[in-house]
Order: sequence, then C-alpha cells, then structure tokens
Amino acid sequence: MRKLYGDFCALNGVSLAVRAGEFVSIIGPNGAGKTTLINVLTGHLPPTAGSIRFNGRDIAGIGPVRLARLGLARSFQLVSIFPALTALEVVEVAVVSRLRRGRRWFASLARDREVERGAVEILELFRLADRRATPARNLAQGDKKLLDVASTFALHPELILLDEPTSGVSTRDKTGIMEILVAAAKRVGIKAIVQVEHDMDIVFGYSDRIVALQEGRVLADAAPAVIRADEAVVAAVVGRPPAVRGD
Amino acid sequence: MTDVVNIALSGVFHAAILFLVAAGLQVIFGVQRIFNLACGSFYALGAYVGVSAVRWALDAGLPPPYFVLPLIVAGIGVAAIGPVVERLLRFVYDRDETFQLLLTFAVVLMLEDVTKLVWGTSPFSTGGLYLVYGSVSVLGATVPVYNLVVIGAGIVVALLIGWMLARTRFGRIVRATAENREMSEAVGVNMRRVYTQVFTLGTGLGTLGGALVIPSTAAMSEMGIDLIVEAFAVVVIGGLGSMRGAVAGALAVGLLRALAIATYPELEMLLIYLIVIAVLLWRPRGLFGEAPA
Amino acid sequence: MRQRLVLGLVIALALLYPLVASPYYATHMLRFFAYAIVVLGLNLLFGYTGLLSFGHSLFLAVGAYTAAVLTSQLGIRSMEVVLLAAALASAAVAVPVGALCVRYVRIYFAMLTLAFAMLFYSFLLKFYHLTGGDEGMRVVRPALLFVDFDGVPKTTFLSHHYYYYSAAVLLVLAVVMWRVVGSPFGLCLRAIRDNPEKAAALAVSVTRYRWAAFVVSAVYAGIGGALLAPTTGQVDPGLAYWTHSGNLVFMTLLGGFTHFVGPVVGAFVFIHLQDQVMSLLPYWRLVFGAILAAVVIFVPGGLMSLCSIRPRALRGRAPRTAA
Repeated sequence: MRKLYGDFCALNGVSLAVRAGEFVSIIGPNGAGKTTLINVLTGHLPPTAGSIRFNGRDIAGIGPVRLARLGLARSFQLVSIFPALTALEVVEVAVVSRLRRGRRWFASLARDREVERGAVEILELFRLADRRATPARNLAQGDKKLLDVASTFALHPELILLDEPTSGVSTRDKTGIMEILVAAAKRVGIKAIVQVEHDMDIVFGYSDRIVALQEGRVLADAAPAVIRADEAVVAAVVGRPPAVRGD
Repeated sequence: MTDVVNIALSGVFHAAILFLVAAGLQVIFGVQRIFNLACGSFYALGAYVGVSAVRWALDAGLPPPYFVLPLIVAGIGVAAIGPVVERLLRFVYDRDETFQLLLTFAVVLMLEDVTKLVWGTSPFSTGGLYLVYGSVSVLGATVPVYNLVVIGAGIVVALLIGWMLARTRFGRIVRATAENREMSEAVGVNMRRVYTQVFTLGTGLGTLGGALVIPSTAAMSEMGIDLIVEAFAVVVIGGLGSMRGAVAGALAVGLLRALAIATYPELEMLLIYLIVIAVLLWRPRGLFGEAPA
Repeated sequence: MRQRLVLGLVIALALLYPLVASPYYATHMLRFFAYAIVVLGLNLLFGYTGLLSFGHSLFLAVGAYTAAVLTSQLGIRSMEVVLLAAALASAAVAVPVGALCVRYVRIYFAMLTLAFAMLFYSFLLKFYHLTGGDEGMRVVRPALLFVDFDGVPKTTFLSHHYYYYSAAVLLVLAVVMWRVVGSPFGLCLRAIRDNPEKAAALAVSVTRYRWAAFVVSAVYAGIGGALLAPTTGQVDPGLAYWTHSGNLVFMTLLGGFTHFVGPVVGAFVFIHLQDQVMSLLPYWRLVFGAILAAVVIFVPGGLMSLCSIRPRALRGRAPRTAA
C-alpha cells in the first residue's frame, strides 16, 4: 500500500504478509516509515492507496476499537497505562472487554471471579502478580511497560503488534522481557507477533522473518540468516554487521 | 430600507463591544490556554467603574461632551485587576485545565458580589448623556453619534491589535507563545511576565468594552454572567484563539442578535445558541480557529 | 468495617434528625437530599469518567419543570410517577445532547454543555405561554407512595413525611450509583478517564461509554431536580442558568471528586454554609468564591482529602502538581 501526507510519501508501495505462527520484526532507520506502517496496519490511518486485510477482512481505517474486537491488538512505543488504576484493574479492563462485560453496569466487579482469574493469569505470566494492588502510576518504569504489554495480551488477540517492546528498558533486562513475551504469547494463544524493534540482537534472536524498511520502501523481507548475509541491507539499516548468533 | 440599516448599525455596535470582550478572551486562551469565565465579570466591572468615573468627573465640573475621556481612562484603568487575578491563576497553571476553569468561576462569583456591594443592585447609568453628541442620519436611519464613535473605536482597537501582533516584539512573542509554549520558553522568553502582560491585556479589552457600552445602556447586576455566553458564542463561531475569529464571530453574533430582536424577540438568544451548536457540530474549529482537542 | 459503622451512624442520625431539630433545619435537609442526588450523578461524569459538565443545571431544570408540569398543569400528583417522568424526560434530553457533547472533551465539552443549559434557560424564559416565563411555575404538593397528605400542615409535611421520602430516594439512588461505579462498566469509565487512547486500544468504545455515563448522570440530575421542586413549591428558569451548574461543580469539588461520598459531603457543606452565610450578610457569593478559589488552589482533592481516608474504589485523577 501507499501512504501520502500531502506531498510527502511515507509509504511507497509496501507489501507485507504475516502468517500464523510467525514472529516478524520490522526494522529500519528513523524516518523509514515504520510508525506510519504500524498506524496503517492497526487501522489508525487509512492508506492512500492499497488495502490492508486481516483474516480476509478489509481493515483500512476501522479504528482501534473495532480492530481489537477482530483480534488484532497493539501496544504503544510510549508506555500507555491507566495511572490511577491498580495493576490488576489495568489488566481487568482488557479482560472485561474481551468477555464483553462492559455493559454490566450493576454487577460487582470485585466479585467477578472470571474476570479476576483472567487478569491474574496474565499478571503471573508477566511476573507482576505480586504488585497487583499497586496503582499503575507507582510502578517502576520497566514494570509499567510490561503492564502495558500485558494488558494488550489480556485481549487474547490472534495477532499482536508490538511497537518497540523493549524501548526504555536497560539492555540487561531486554532478553528477560522478550522471554516473558514469547512465553506469554504461547500460553495465551497468540498466533502471530509483529514487532518494530531497534535492538538488532533482539531482532535476530527472536524473529522468524525480518522486514527492512527504508524511505517508505521494503528493502528486504526474509529470514534472519538471509538478511545478515545481505550487506546492502545491513549497511542501510543496521550500520554495522550484526554479531553472529544462533537462531 | 431604514429598518435594515437600523438593524445593521445596532448589530455592528453590539459587535464592536462583543469584539472587545471576545478579543480579550481570545488572547488569553491563545497564549495561556485558559478559558476565562470571568471576562464577562471584567466587562461588568469596566461598566460600573466607567459610570462612576463619568459621574464623578461631571460633578467635578467636566463639560459633558468630554465624558468619553474619564470613560476610557476608567475602562483601561480597571485592567489593574488583571495582574491580581493572574497571580491567583499562577497557582494552577501546571494543573488540569478543569481547575483553571473553576478558578475563573470563583472570580466570577466574587466579582458578582463585589459589584453588588459597591454599586448596589439597581441599574446604574449615565442617563441620556451620550446623546450630547447628537444623532446623525445614515442612509435614512437615525443613529446616535456615540454609537458610531464606539464602532470606530472597535475598528481602531482591532487594527491596533493586528498591528501589535504583526509588527511589535511583544506581538511576536505572543504569537510564538501561542503556537509553542515550551519552545518559547526554551529560547528565553520570560513566561511569567508574558502571562501577566497577556492576561492584563485581555482583561483591559474586556473592561474597555464594558466602559464603552455604558452610555447607551445601564450597568446592571447580571450583565457579566449574561455576557459570557455571548462571548462564548463569538469565540466558537470565530474559532478559539483567533483574533480574526473574534472579529468575524462578533459581527455574526451582533448582527444575528439585532436581527432576532427586530423580528422574533423570543428567539433572541435561542438563535445564537442554536448557531453555536450547529457550528460545533459541523465545523468545530469555527471560522478561523485551530482544531479542537 | 469502620466505614460501615460511620455510614450506619450517619444514616441513624439522619433518620432521627426531624425528631430533634427544628422544622426549619429539617426542611433545609431536603435541599441537601435533592442536590446530593444531582452531584452523585455529576461526579459519575466528572470524577469517574473525566468529563466536566458546566450544563447539568439543564437536567436539574428539566426534572424540576417536569414535576411542576405534572403536578400543577396535568394534575398528576403521584411522586413516584413524577420521579419516573423526570428520569425519562432527562434521559430523553440527554440522549441527543449527550451524543453531540461526548464527541468533544475538556473545554469544548464544558462549554458545549453550558450552551445547552443556556439554550434551555432562554426557552424557559422567553416562551412564557408554555413555561410561565420569569415567574416560573407552581408545584403542587405531591402524594407520597399513593397517600395524600393534604390534611397535614405544610411545614410538618416537609419536615417529616417528605423528609423521610427524600432521604429514602437518596439512599436508594446512592446504593445504585455505588453498584454502578463498582461494576465492569465503572471500571471502563475510569479507564477512559485515565487514558482514552489506551482504552480504545483495549477495545473499549470510548464515545459510547461516555455517552452512557452522560445519560445516567443526567437522569440523576433530573430526579434530583424533581425532588427539589416540591420543597419550594415553585420552579423558575434560574434553575437552568449556567452559574447554577457552576455551583453543582463547586459542591462536587468542595467535597472531593476522588471519593464516592465526596460530592455528597460537598453538597451538605455547601447548602448549610450558604444558609449560615446568607443569614449574616447577603454576599454569600463573595465568601463562596473565595472558598472555591482556596479549594482549587490548596485543597484540590476537596474536604475528603483532608480526612486521611484513602479513596476506595475510586482513586481519582489527582492534579498534576509542579514537578
């Protein structure tokens, strides 16, 4: 698809396919169009030309609410939580949404075991269960990020789009977080993960496929080993050859 | 034809006053992002002080034709209350705009009673004084010269503001701050002083408007809280934060009101509110404003 | 547990009050009961959903005028029917008004609701053939629970029969509101208040929930208005004026919008303090304006935040203080 902002072409003929079971990383220098791509993919922006389909359904510009209902969820680059709610409540919002209980205006939330269990399960997967009663704004920055992603997982989406899931996290903790994410995805039944990432170690360590963007175009779309061997991509996107790691 | 001219002139007269108050509202909102509910109260204050000043001056021997002098001096002088109120607002600049709005409401409450306390509740006016300038015939309709003076004053103020914003250093700072507060601060603009100056300017425009309207009506106890809704209509139609919007909105509201009064008096304010709602429905940013949050 | 005891004590005191206090003070509580209902509704929208309405006087007036029209024009005197009608009328107005208003936030929402309230005010004032204009409309004493108390003298009716009736209505509506804010719906509202974009990302239809909260809060305001009408026996356009809305917000803030009972406390303090001040000098607005300024600047969490009671169920949007 293409996306134009006035005269400026942010996405110029980007084609992308994600299948169930895949972990796809989107990489590229700043200004390559990654954010625009995410916004178009998640229904925030309609493309100027082309189409976006999810499970066969056209999702161009349908907006985050309807998209989440269809099974495509997204986490944000900047930590986005509900500051005054407790960690448990933050996740419960997603569970309530998933179970379509938002309409229940007279039932007691505190006594809803199913919602609580669903939320606690997610909190445990993300190692946040012991802080369930802490107001979200009081959590450490890294925990806030985890909570943000956890609440997205609590929707049990089919496909999840993570916008820089390890940004703002110290290098030491990045792998830990990725392990949690991947394990949680398996437990929750998420079929595919798409992430935008800058950290090449993470990208090469976890991806089934890497899509490299540059100036609104797809430079390469292949398995990590192929990307690593492609010097043009490496130079353009990474700037230096990546360390050789086992997949 | 006479009727049309009458309506047009009375509409433009009202528009001139509305413009002054709305311009005050706009400049404060544009720079400080505060919707000053007390702008109507400042208008009322200007009116009351204006009447007092004129009466005092006349008692002291001032010849009647010079009454506009104490009037304008009073109108502008009362703006001294601006820095006082701004000092209060300073406490809540970093808070949610709800609190800023409520603080201006607190000022409304206080000023309502202050005017009652000082001037009582019965209408307070300069009587037929403004007719000392006589009336003139415009296209068949008779209009007091004073009204034309006010319309002229409105135009002059509009032009002055436009010049100030475009040509003076202060105006540049105002425009820069309105567009990007952090950036302005980063390049060394003294925010505190700018805010005080802008708020005082906004207040002064309102109090001047109140003073100028006085000769043709009376200062009355509800005039402040009545006016805020018209001022709000002006800035919605014209667009929040825009000076040109203040002119356009004021003309729209002034003329509509004059038209309604002449044809269906019951619909007077109803029509205005309906237009406000229609504008918000169909073009929320008004004629010249920025897109609403 | 302690909170339940306090609540029980308060209710017991309220029930005993007419037996010990003078009729004047007991009648005064009637205004408190009515306004408490209104601000409970207002706070659902403000404290829980994050939308500040400066136009809730609209729904209060709708409720009050419904009571007037029913009792004095249509001869319907059953208070239950009046309350139901007021609720329906407020809902009927709130559905279209809310649909329009919730598309905007913050200042625009506040100003838009203010405009609607003033629209109704102008209508009430100008169309005097229908509404009685400036003089308003009479409210005939209603029958409570289908019992006619016409034989009872007015002060006794108000300070006893109507007192307990109003208190009961407040209690019922308070319990309902408590359930609402503690429900999954209430959770979604708080999420929307805290971060609308995130709420949307979690598949919560922000506009639709705001609209629902708007309608519920309007119904509460309407019922409160209808309950208020018989206490004075007269309704007038001033009920819809925007400064009346401002007072409602004042009460909510005074008590504390981050606590469930905060607005109720605020209404209580406001009404009784207003009465005290007015008996000393006619310039209550000056005093109250200063109080509001002080609350906004120094105690934004309201009176409840001064007691060291930690907010339960609702941890409100605290004002961002200077870093």
